Order: sequence, then C-alpha cells, then structure tokens
Amino acid sequence: MQRIFVYLSSFLICLSVITASAQKKKQIVLPPDSTKWLNGLTVHVDAASLIIPTFSSNVLYSSEGGIQLDLKHKIFPTLELGYGGANKLEADNSGFKTNGLFERIGVDFNLRKRKPDSKPTNNLFVAGVRLGMSHFNYNVTNVSVTDQYWGGTESLNFLNQSSTKIWYEFVVGVQVEVLKNFYMGWYIRNKNLISQDNPGAVAPWYIPGFGQNNGASWGFNYTLGYHFLSPKKNLMRNKIPNQTTNNQLKK
Amino acid sequence: MNKSIFIVLAFSFILNSCVTDVTCTQTTYVKLTAGFYHVIPNDTTSLYTYVPFSVDSLTVQGLKFDSTTRQYHLVDSILYNKINSQSSINLPLNNFALQSKFKITFNTIVDTLSIYHTNINDYLSLECGCIKLHTIDTVIMTKHYIDSVKITNHNVNALNAENIRLFK
Repeated sequence: MQRIFVYLSSFLICLSVITASAQKKKQIVLPPDSTKWLNGLTVHVDAASLIIPTFSSNVLYSSEGGIQLDLKHKIFPTLELGYGGANKLEADNSGFKTNGLFERIGVDFNLRKRKPDSKPTNNLFVAGVRLGMSHFNYNVTNVSVTDQYWGGTESLNFLNQSSTKIWYEFVVGVQVEVLKNFYMGWYIRNKNLISQDNPGAVAPWYIPGFGQNNGASWGFNYTLGYHFLSPKKNLMRNKIPNQTTNNQLKK
Repeated sequence: MNKSIFIVLAFSFILNSCVTDVTCTQTTYVKLTAGFYHVIPNDTTSLYTYVPFSVDSLTVQGLKFDSTTRQYHLVDSILYNKINSQSSINLPLNNFALQSKFKITFNTIVDTLSIYHTNINDYLSLECGCIKLHTIDTVIMTKHYIDSVKITNHNVNALNAENIRLFK
C-alpha cells in the first residue's frame, strides 16, 4: 500500500512539473526574425580539384569555383562553374581525350538550428541539391578490332564526338569562417546522370564536372571562399526600425 | 568554433582516388548460330513441323579466300572436330570480309555453307573496345546432306539467338 502511495505521488509530481514547464514554454514569445534577407555573397574556389591530377596519375584535371548568396543565413542559392578534362590511355593503346566547361546551379540549406536569443553564426552545416550540365567534345582513338578466327586487325578512331550531359547532385558540406570573411569548407557530392547514352553510341568515358561515365559517381570539394557583405545601404535600412522603436520607448 | 575547424581539417585529408580501372565485363562473343531441324509434313493440315535434331561426327572448318591464288583454303583452326550430339553450331563471321564460307562435314558427307553479310562497328566502352556485329544478306548451301536453309534472324550479335536453320 505504501509503495502504491509512493508511486502515485511521484507520478503526480512528475506530471505537475511537466505541465508547469509546458506552461512556461507557452509564455515565451519568440522575437521576430530580424535577420536580413540578403546577407552578402561568398565567392569560393575548389582546392581539391587542383590536386586531382596527382591522385589520378595525371589522367584527370579540373578546376572550379562558385558564387553563393546568403539569404537569411538559411538559404544559399549557388552557381558553380568549372573546367575539366581527361586524357586516358588504356593498356592496349586505345585512348580517350576530352575537355570542356561545366556549370551547376542549385541551393543549399543551413541545417544548424539557431537558438532564438543567439546571434546568427557564420559556421554552417549545409545540405543541398544541384543540377549540373556539360557540353563537350571528345576523341576516342586507336580502338582495335581483331578477328581471332579469320585473322586481321583494324584500328578505329572516333574523332570530334560531341555530347551534352545533365545530372543532379545531392550535396552535404560544412563551411567555417576561419578568419574574418574568409571561409574554409568541404562538400561531398552524390552525382546521378539524367541523360544516358544510347546503345551502340560512342559513349564518353569521362564527363567534365561529373566524373567517370558510370551512371552515378561521388565527388569531393575543399572550398576556400571570401564573403562579401551586403552594401552599407542595406545595413542602415535594417537598423532604422530598431532606432525608431527606441525613440518611441523614450517618449 | 574550434570543433568546427577540426571537422573541416579532418575532412580535407579525405580524398578518394579519382580514377578506377574497370575491366570489361560485357560479352564480346559475336557468332552466328545455326540449328539442325527435321521437316515433318502434316498430311491433314498440309503444314510443316520443324523438329530439332542432333548430328554426330560433325566437323566444321572455315574456308578463306586467298586473293593471290584466287582459291579457297581451309583455316588452320577447326571449329568443331568430330563432335557428337550437336543440335546447333556457332560460327564466327569474318569481321573484314562480306562473305564467310564454312566446310561442314557430317560423318563423311561434306556440305559448304556460304554466308553473305555486312559488318557494323559496335563501340562498347573504352575498356571493352569495339566489336563487329553482322547482318545476314544471303545464305547459300550445297545440298549433299542438308536439304534446305532458312534465315530466321538476320542480326548476328552477342545475344546468341538462332540465326539460320539447316533442314534435313
């Protein structure tokens, strides 16, 4: 009997504490979000692409950069441009050579939740999507066809082939302000081709901006960026409402 | 802040190798398939039924045209050498000629099969290279053992489907 009493009383105490805290939570009135819509833009370059030739035995090369707008520290529309290529030679002397421009457009979302009373942080954990495109020319050379039974060999060249590829990407990344307005960060990308090759077509081995033509691929970027703040006019405009409020309070 | 910088630096060292060497996994085996059939007439319906059969002591060898001597001579490699219970044969067509000729020996009876075809380049990939597909135009055969020939599928590819029927 005593145990039941202890159990019931402790349960009621817990319930009253939860109810009280819920009531307190209800009483908290969130201040209106004073973050500006446009908080400048970041220009960044990819440092990882500069060392890709080392990791790929000089088969692949690429360089890219981008511009990212900061909307309310939450939404980051992004435009990325780059140039990439490949010079692959197989053991049987057949080769693939290409180079071309690529572009990606997309948006990142800041996943870090900001506490109501805290200042907006410049360190971001983002996830986003991209739509990429590349139009490029390529050569496939010295493709040998042999006839093992009847005998004979033929070497084929497929020159000045042209292709346009479109793909989508899921990206996850981190951006950290290491010095004032200087950012470092990384992105991991999962890339998926939308446009596929027709059977029998001379398909490219490599797609600039996408990677090896395997339907899906992974990418990594190590970004170095500089954040350009909004023009001062915007800053002033954002300060005006607070000043009028203070004046009104003084009166 | 320090924690965030640590995460950035830690991931800066994670760089995967960007080129993966892939070996060819696609089949590059392009051969014509010929099946052996008996023709059985149906007296009531006046239609024919085709029944597959197997041949014994089958020998198949290519006949290559020599442009200097202007004569056909046997290719060194024998495709089938006195094989028993064979219901179909796979024949490689010449990638660089428009005619492929075979000497087919059924025990002691010899027939000659001539296949006229066109050759089409089919690029697979950088790893697999290019193969030749064929389109059969005409098939001509001597009628010592085999009675007649019919083309069932003009396209010779890596799918290993039956292309011609040899009727007895």
